[in-house]
Amino acid sequence: MKSESGDVRAEGWICAKCGVALELLPADATYMGSSFQVDLPRCPVCGLTFIPPDLAEGKMLEVEKLLEDK
Amino acid sequence: MEQALLHDLESRCTQEEAPACRSMCPLHVDGRDFARFMGEGRFDEARAVLERFMPLAGLCAFLCQGECMPHCRRAETDTGVNLPMLERACALHSRPGKAMPLPASGKSATLAGSGLSSLCLAFELGKKGCKVKIVHTGEAGQALAARASDLLPRGALSGAMERLLALRVSFERVDDFSPDLCATLLRENKILYLGLDDPALDFRLSAFGLEHPGDPLTLETAIPGIFAGGAGISFIKAAAAGRRAAGSITRFMQGVSPSSARAGEEVYPTKLFTDLSRVLPVPPVEAADPKTPTLAEAAAEAARCIQCSCLACVEKCAWMARYGAYPKRYAREIYNTLAMKVGHRRANAQINSCTLCGLCAAVCPNGADMGRFCAEARKEMVSSRHMPASAHEFALEDMVYSNSPEVAFYRHQPGHERCRYALFPGCRLPASLPEQTGKLYAFLARNLEGGVGFFFRCCSMPAKWSGRPLLTASCAAGLRETWEEAGRPELILACPACALFFSAELAEIPIKSLWETLAALPLPDTARALDGVLALHDPCTARDRPDLAEAARSLALRLGQKTEDLPLSRGFTRCCGYGGLSLFANPEVGAEISRSRLGDTDKDLLCWCVMCRESLRSAGMRALHFLDLLFPGEKDPAVRPAPGISTRQENALAFRRAMLQNFWNEEDEVAGMEPAIFSMDGEVAEKLEARRILRSDVEKVLLHSKEKGAQFRNPQSGRILSCLRPKQVTFWVEYSENADGSFTVHNAYCHRMRVPGTPGEGLPTAVILEGFDPQGGRV
Ligand code: SF4
Ligand code: SF4
Ligand code: SF4
Ligand SMILES: [Zn+2]
Repeated sequence: MKSESGDVRAEGWICAKCGVALELLPADATYMGSSFQVDLPRCPVCGLTFIPPDLAEGKMLEVEKLLEDK
Repeated sequence: MEQALLHDLESRCTQEEAPACRSMCPLHVDGRDFARFMGEGRFDEARAVLERFMPLAGLCAFLCQGECMPHCRRAETDTGVNLPMLERACALHSRPGKAMPLPASGKSATLAGSGLSSLCLAFELGKKGCKVKIVHTGEAGQALAARASDLLPRGALSGAMERLLALRVSFERVDDFSPDLCATLLRENKILYLGLDDPALDFRLSAFGLEHPGDPLTLETAIPGIFAGGAGISFIKAAAAGRRAAGSITRFMQGVSPSSARAGEEVYPTKLFTDLSRVLPVPPVEAADPKTPTLAEAAAEAARCIQCSCLACVEKCAWMARYGAYPKRYAREIYNTLAMKVGHRRANAQINSCTLCGLCAAVCPNGADMGRFCAEARKEMVSSRHMPASAHEFALEDMVYSNSPEVAFYRHQPGHERCRYALFPGCRLPASLPEQTGKLYAFLARNLEGGVGFFFRCCSMPAKWSGRPLLTASCAAGLRETWEEAGRPELILACPACALFFSAELAEIPIKSLWETLAALPLPDTARALDGVLALHDPCTARDRPDLAEAARSLALRLGQKTEDLPLSRGFTRCCGYGGLSLFANPEVGAEISRSRLGDTDKDLLCWCVMCRESLRSAGMRALHFLDLLFPGEKDPAVRPAPGISTRQENALAFRRAMLQNFWNEEDEVAGMEPAIFSMDGEVAEKLEARRILRSDVEKVLLHSKEKGAQFRNPQSGRILSCLRPKQVTFWVEYSENADGSFTVHNAYCHRMRVPGTPGEGLPTAVILEGFDPQGGRV
């Protein structure tokens, strides 16, 4: 997830609550007891994290599978 | 996992056993590898096989007289593969290997006689760095040269002598093995071998103080350190005796008993199973000049080798084929994965992809059951908290839904205080064929004496398949409770998976299959046969129930329905892919297993398990269920699509509602079944199906978003993207709100990883709590 996090874009989406554009910011992702930091589009005000479909079904799924088999 | 289980499976799988040519060859030359290389024109590699298994291969290759040939499996069809001819061709036309002696070991041995056994012994000891001296009369190897003159080409013997010299073997020529010389040799050598295949040693045993030659296996004589043998046996047996003597002498030098650990050194019949049913006769290839076969002739003969191997199970099962090996290897890999403390648990996905169908055990000559092994492995994964939640969570939640008070129910037949029977259709039949199930119930209620109750719930097989014994037991207990409250009726089971579950987990409940029950009743008036022949697909869960397979066939017969058996049927039937939750844990492998049936027939399939019908239909086959014949509905039932995950659940609820209304005149007090609050196009619906997102999951996100506020907005498109984590899965829904307050869903997806800001507790659902690790969030 880390290496390709630069590709993650939130074209056109803004935080609905704060009304601001999203920025690539470090976020803690956790699964199966493992936790790691990754740059993801987030609301700079409230911290909400944006996950686009290709990330959920691509790199993220891959990492989930890896962690499940650890 | 218990090691005994691993050993049991390992001992049953014979795939790693030697082919017959190898086990019956005195030198255990791997004829299978050798013939393969020869057949493929890889002559140097073929030569390397000979060098590996034959001492002095450049000599022995000419002396083999084909002792394996009568045992070659091809001999059961025509004649054995002519390995001697192959060996000859190989030795004539390829370069000899290099023997690399180990550094001098400081050990030494003396060999009397220069027959083949002595030469091979010298070669073997010499390679190990032992200082070998051969005492002989005449020219060294003279007697062998004379005996084998018609076999040995020029240069074969001298080549062997050169190799021995390169191994620092020394030769001492004597005039005669006189009694004096024998006594001296005996006195001066702690280790002495008497090569009795050299006629110079004929009648000399007593001169060495011996009455008998050595033990046929170890060549040990009555005197420690003196070994003897080689007389009166074939060349290759003498070569093997020389090599075994080397093993004995090495042990003796190390102070180990020469007879220790010698298993498999003599010839033995192999346990390797090889299916010969498809082997066609091929006439043997004769060399134009038998003394000098060409490589082309040898390659042609090599092609007659059938490359003996078992893989009977691998041929039949897509799971087996997919991971590139066979049960013995799989069992070891799985065992090792289970034993791992840290690191990549390679076999996890594999363990969860097996359908537990038992076809492997049925086709294996020794009954090796990979399914049972994987089932045990799953239990172990659960108890050691290594079972990923993603594998079975969806299927288990689906099961819990079927067993919830909102869906499950029991009722006596209207007008009865108690019932002798109850129809237990299972969870899937009513969800797939709701109307027919209702008609079936009415038919049974009308035709059976003593009252027929109706019992709707899931048998809970998914709990068992997922490797969760506690969940299985608690689900079974819930079922038992309802059954007891119902007055313990005999259950009529429509689903063979239920039958399997009941006999294993609820043995006290009397059960009867629907198919047996129908056999004793008249046919429903509506029953009809279809034109043409249908192929009967038997469910794997009834593999051990020939009576049920028979009942299904006699029902077809009574219906006047022409059917035929599939190539793999009854006890040897294929799993439809649904078994063992394989389709849930690994949709790709599950679908591959489902598709295995595609090649078996071009007929429509007739199923008596509804799960089979749905899985095979989803795999693209035309398939119908017996109820489609007994209570016909649509015109072409073989193409009815299998209901998707959401439709199934909605159907179950609607079925309950309709049953309660039609038979018991009850208004269902259970809420739900609100009209859908959103719409989507077919493509989005397909995505939901593939991603195992229920329409109710989408609704949860939409309602949450509407109530608590959306997460993201796209000012250009006006769309909203909201997420919610109601359990250990985060669902995302991209939608727009229509003027009338309804929603149009454009996309939905999910992931299990947690990121900051997502609303929702994200707690694991109760069903997967067995084996749940609160620390790691691991299940
Ligand atoms: S059928 Fe399969 S398990 Fe049985 S011996 Fe052959 S390869 Fe091994
Ligand atoms: S067919 Fe080939 S592998 Fe099988 S026994 Fe004969 S030579 Fe060996
Ligand atoms: S899918 Fe069936 S045949 Fe294949 S390994 Fe599993 S139990 Fe055996
Ligand atoms: Zn915000």
